Amino acid sequence: MIYRPSHRQLAVAGGYAAAGALYVLIGVTYVDFLFSFFTALAYLLIVAWLVPAAVRRII
Amino acid sequence: MSWAAHDLEPYAIQAHHSKLKVAFVPLLLGSYAPDLMTKWYVYGIHLGPWDLKADNAAQFHRGWPGLGFTHSFLYGAVIGLIFWKGLGSKNWGISFMIGQWAHALTDAGDTVGTMLFFPWTHHFSVGAWAYAGQTGRLTDAAAYFSGLGGMWDLVWIVIGLYSWQVLTRSYFETHVFTADAFWPKVNRFVPMTALLVAYRAAFFYGTSRWIAWTVWAHVIHHFPYDLSWGGPHWVPAEHS
Repeated sequence: MIYRPSHRQLAVAGGYAAAGALYVLIGVTYVDFLFSFFTALAYLLIVAWLVPAAVRRII
Repeated sequence: MSWAAHDLEPYAIQAHHSKLKVAFVPLLLGSYAPDLMTKWYVYGIHLGPWDLKADNAAQFHRGWPGLGFTHSFLYGAVIGLIFWKGLGSKNWGISFMIGQWAHALTDAGDTVGTMLFFPWTHHFSVGAWAYAGQTGRLTDAAAYFSGLGGMWDLVWIVIGLYSWQVLTRSYFETHVFTADAFWPKVNRFVPMTALLVAYRAAFFYGTSRWIAWTVWAHVIHHFPYDLSWGGPHWVPAEHS
């Protein structure tokens, strides 16, 4: 059976893709950024959890 | 050596949760474990006035004498047994072992290979892509993402995207969170949304850095692609 992602799941994937694009931009500029999983984990927690949570709290 | 494959393989393994009862955290830990002890010394680090770097990177990383045993089945089994008997979690032990075995098998794809059946010191090597750790991390990255190693990583990205459901919130809450007491314990202090982001982090890291290194190597620096067996041949590869 083939499952298709819902609109909400596609929106979430789009958010991660945008976060990934920014990560790539930073990474090709400062390659040290690309070497650590923990840097990526911290980055993702900031852009995919903390920032959205702060924005939701403000608006 | 491999790069993004070690970030992505755990998700492909996780997708088979109905056959393999795995815990994701030790699975990922096992996938990273062989290089945690070795990569820093392979590439070298500056520590105050000292430059610490292996004289023979391949020997240190994959050989014996050296720390090549970290890329053997025995190493995964021993650490897994410690998790099982020492810390009381059979699930963590088996999951760690599966992740570490996946790493050891994947690294057998390069020209140095791995001592899979250590203490037998024979190197199993497919020889598909050049081992260039001794050249330093930037040249190693350029070489890896110019040869079949980078293509091998791409295969894992495609498999991961094909198994996209393992990345969804519902899958995480139903199959990952419930399979390991680690998650509920952390969930006492950290909300579910943050745990979900952390669960997705290795996939994000592997995919994003694959794109970033490819752009860096081929758009910014114009290193030539060489997808021939054992390539790229513009880098001096180590052999076992």
